[in-house]
Amino acid sequence: VVDRAEVMTVLGQQAEELLDLKADQLREELSFKTDLDVDSLALVEFTMAVEDAFAIDLPEDEVVDLVSIGAFVDLILAKTALASPA
Amino acid sequence: VLTSFGRALRITERAARRLDPVPAVVALDVTVDADLAALTDRLRALGWDRVDGVLHAIAFAPPAALGGGFLSTGWPDVAVALQVSTWSFVALTRALLPLLGRGSAVVGLDFDASRAWPSYDWMGVAKAGLESACRYLAREVGPRGVRANLVAAGPLSTVAATSVPGFAALAERWGERAPLGWDTRDAEPVARACVALLSDWFPATTGTVVYVDGGARAVG
Repeated sequence: VVDRAEVMTVLGQQAEELLDLKADQLREELSFKTDLDVDSLALVEFTMAVEDAFAIDLPEDEVVDLVSIGAFVDLILAKTALASPA
Repeated sequence: VLTSFGRALRITERAARRLDPVPAVVALDVTVDADLAALTDRLRALGWDRVDGVLHAIAFAPPAALGGGFLSTGWPDVAVALQVSTWSFVALTRALLPLLGRGSAVVGLDFDASRAWPSYDWMGVAKAGLESACRYLAREVGPRGVRANLVAAGPLSTVAATSVPGFAALAERWGERAPLGWDTRDAEPVARACVALLSDWFPATTGTVVYVDGGARAVG
């Protein structure tokens, strides 16, 4: 089972690779869009990379509207919980 | 074969890798004449000597052309919207003509342009132009046995739609009005209509719009 810290680690790696951000810039209370200046196109690519990393399917249109990175983590945790056998 | 350009190219390549078999991704910016001119050679180099179906899924309007500033949008913004969303349907088809033959079909994506929607603004004008362009295109390519049609979809929750202001309100009303209901998260009915129009099951249909909207357009 994936935990919060693991998700943040993966998000940090992908953000460094794809979003031109440093992993320590990702904090749960921040928004990709308003605080970190990530536009929807970049966020779609980032989201697809995260889907590949966790073998889950995320609704891109919802991700674009998520208020915070914490909410993104919640969504990933919910999806990975569904994907892994109980 | 998929096409894409600029920053979206990497997204398209990522999406392509999830398909089986993995399709080739060709870089194509429909606003660049050289890209259009090189398209048939690029496809031939990939081994395609004939194209049976073309799906034009291209549209763009600058933020100033959408969202309630209809009266104040300047020509440069409107011009971009019309070039990318209207003219490119014809330009793409013309670029591919050497590879199109009897039975080939072109399909474009439309949003009902017979009325003025809240905040859709110049994109709506571009779609009205697209519907007309489709009729003229059908007239031009018909003698070659090539068909050109549009699929007008109800609102779908895509990333592109998140940048259309007022989308949520429109989508909600759509579901209430459509006799069949409408699921903004299900693109499959639209995809099926596109495949059907590209197939030989619509051999005598061209220059028209097929509405995949849950029936919303039919009712008051």
